[in-house]
Amino acid sequence: MPQVKIIAKNFMDMVASLTAIKLDKLYNNVFICEAILRSLPPLAKKYVLQLLFIDDPVPCTRIEEWVLPDGLSKHRVAIDRLIQLRIFTETVDRREGTCFSLNPTFQNNLQKHIISGGVLPREPMNSSNGIKLPSLQELETYALQQWECFLLQLINSGQGEKLTGISSSMMKVFQRGLLSQRDRDGPRLTESGFQFLLMDTNAQLWYIIREYISNAEERDVDPADLISFLLELSFHVTGEAYNLNTLTDVQRTTLKDLADLGLVKLQQGRKDSWFIPTKLATNLSVSLADSSVRKEGYVMMETNFRMYAYSTSKLQCEILRLFARIEYQLPNLIACAVTKESLYNAFDNGITSDQIITFLQQNSHPRCADRVPSIPENVTDQIRLWESDLKRIEMTQAHFYDEFPSKDVFEGACNFARQWGGLLWEDSKRMRLVVKSEVHNQMREYLHTQGN
Amino acid sequence: MATVASKLYSDDVSLLVLLLDTNPLFWSNRSTTFSQFLSHVLAFLNAVLGLNQLNRVVVIATGYCSCDYIYDSSLTLSGNSESGRTGMPALFGSLLEKLEDFIDKDEELIKEQEHDERIASSLLSGSLSMALCYIQRIFRSGHLHPQPRILCLQGSPDGPEQYVAVMNSIFSAQRLMVPIDSCYIGTQNSAFLQQASYITGGVHHAPKQLDGLFQFLTTIFATDLHTRSFVQLPKPVGVDFRASCFCHKKTIDMGYVCSVCLSIFCEHHKKCSTCGSVFGQSKLDGASTVSDKKRKAPDS
Repeated sequence: MPQVKIIAKNFMDMVASLTAIKLDKLYNNVFICEAILRSLPPLAKKYVLQLLFIDDPVPCTRIEEWVLPDGLSKHRVAIDRLIQLRIFTETVDRREGTCFSLNPTFQNNLQKHIISGGVLPREPMNSSNGIKLPSLQELETYALQQWECFLLQLINSGQGEKLTGISSSMMKVFQRGLLSQRDRDGPRLTESGFQFLLMDTNAQLWYIIREYISNAEERDVDPADLISFLLELSFHVTGEAYNLNTLTDVQRTTLKDLADLGLVKLQQGRKDSWFIPTKLATNLSVSLADSSVRKEGYVMMETNFRMYAYSTSKLQCEILRLFARIEYQLPNLIACAVTKESLYNAFDNGITSDQIITFLQQNSHPRCADRVPSIPENVTDQIRLWESDLKRIEMTQAHFYDEFPSKDVFEGACNFARQWGGLLWEDSKRMRLVVKSEVHNQMREYLHTQGN
Repeated sequence: MATVASKLYSDDVSLLVLLLDTNPLFWSNRSTTFSQFLSHVLAFLNAVLGLNQLNRVVVIATGYCSCDYIYDSSLTLSGNSESGRTGMPALFGSLLEKLEDFIDKDEELIKEQEHDERIASSLLSGSLSMALCYIQRIFRSGHLHPQPRILCLQGSPDGPEQYVAVMNSIFSAQRLMVPIDSCYIGTQNSAFLQQASYITGGVHHAPKQLDGLFQFLTTIFATDLHTRSFVQLPKPVGVDFRASCFCHKKTIDMGYVCSVCLSIFCEHHKKCSTCGSVFGQSKLDGASTVSDKKRKAPDS
């Protein structure tokens, strides 16, 4: 996954920042315990599993003995996370020092889950009474279509017809940070907006979901409820129908928004209505951890800088347009060229060469992905070179000094500037020097004292 | 293996192939019953599946004279609509059902074969090969796959007649870079399992008692390959490297080795039965002593 600034705020940080009471309430739900367990760093998972059937507090020093010396930093990260999420409770024993024990609710629920196996959060409806379920294939195309529709609306707001049912105020929330309103030329994608488009679907989804949750309070919805519902949703079976009657009102309104994102498909029968979770929903708890589910790639890059993308999607065309020139489009193929101009355009918009290259690698066509390297080396090198071309000149605000009365004063000034780390250039023959602007004030004071 | 490595998930996603010893001859005279043992194992499987949504578990039953796949988590996830309703969680329902079928079939096969001189060993070589076939299929399909590892839960003693087959499986696992973990719950020591784990870089452990098997399993064998690099795990205290001879399938400390194909024999032959090379008459033949027999290190 590309290292993206806007992803920095992890979803689990969000959970960890909930108040203690709310967090403890969350652990009453088995599915949340499970989802949280899955989101932990590997070492933390191991600790939880090892302590699962131990009721007494275990001294910290003993846990430390489980890892090798070079794993100590990982050990600390794991312990910190566990305490942050209130899975570990700290007690201080007089003899043993700091001890840890598992949160009893969490422990109980997880024990039950492990002994009796995974149970479904709610019973799917009987398929006999007149429900025609879409096939998994249909469901997936529906989900992706819905999601792309949403993304398209997200990036060219204003123009274009209203495609999804998401209210414009909601849309504004999502666009915050991704689009910037410039004075005349309408909304423009910001740097993070471009980065957002190059992320994979799951990362994008989580970004949106995070915005959705952080906005929850404005809509009078408890974020904890929302989080627990979303995590629970990820444990439903893809393609099964679930009755809407089993949900609370808040969950039902949430579900409508989620349907617009393609997470669920809503259907209505004669008597009752139901929802069918799509792959996007069931993958929610997968993408909590770093390992993401990648879909099959579609881009072929050639050594002559031409790029062929097997795609019919308008969105993917838009994404490629971010850094390549679209030459022509066939029904299932987009042919483009990566040129100096198109890349300069991308760099201008704040996309880095590394992001482009990772995007190409992640989305390369299966035939190309088998090759090593999947993107021709001359192309990746050239992309990097073009980026470094732009960075050849660095601008620094500076002040220029000349007409020094004597060599001594000049050399004193040079030394002073050097001490402050602000000397950029000196010419001792003609007694001239250039100093960074930050040091200008100190420099002026110094020269005044010298003058007197 | 560069292509294989690049297709792995970045994190700790694992595929666990569990070889479950169902040998009735072993379980019939143990203090721990098979069902007690099974409840530990099922909880362990649940724990492994719970650690990561992408984790996969395959269970292969190793019987007395047959072996079979009895559970594949990737298959049941898609079609568990019927078994989920029987009150039994989906995972166990199908597993137990298939296990029962398997044990019945295995029993019939035992009755058909009527030579009693064989040791009560399980068909480890068969289940190891099946596990490797399955992993090979995973390697070849799809563009991303979990990190595979094999766990042998074995109780019955080694069958020396399977020596060549087991060693071949071990070496293929080594080539595929698939570690074979082994948990030996029997009374003797298993040279096969010790060697398997030693050669493939897996972990070998023989718990003294089975009451806390679950804790052993989760502490040692639930650790994914990614985490193993910085966690303390039991180290081998000494590996039993003894081999079986090719002629009588006996475990031997010392023997003759063919200099061409490295086949092992317990007594002197004129010709190698494996590669056909003719052994020259040893000059020292008359005065043959222990010193000119090739020594296989029994313990190093």
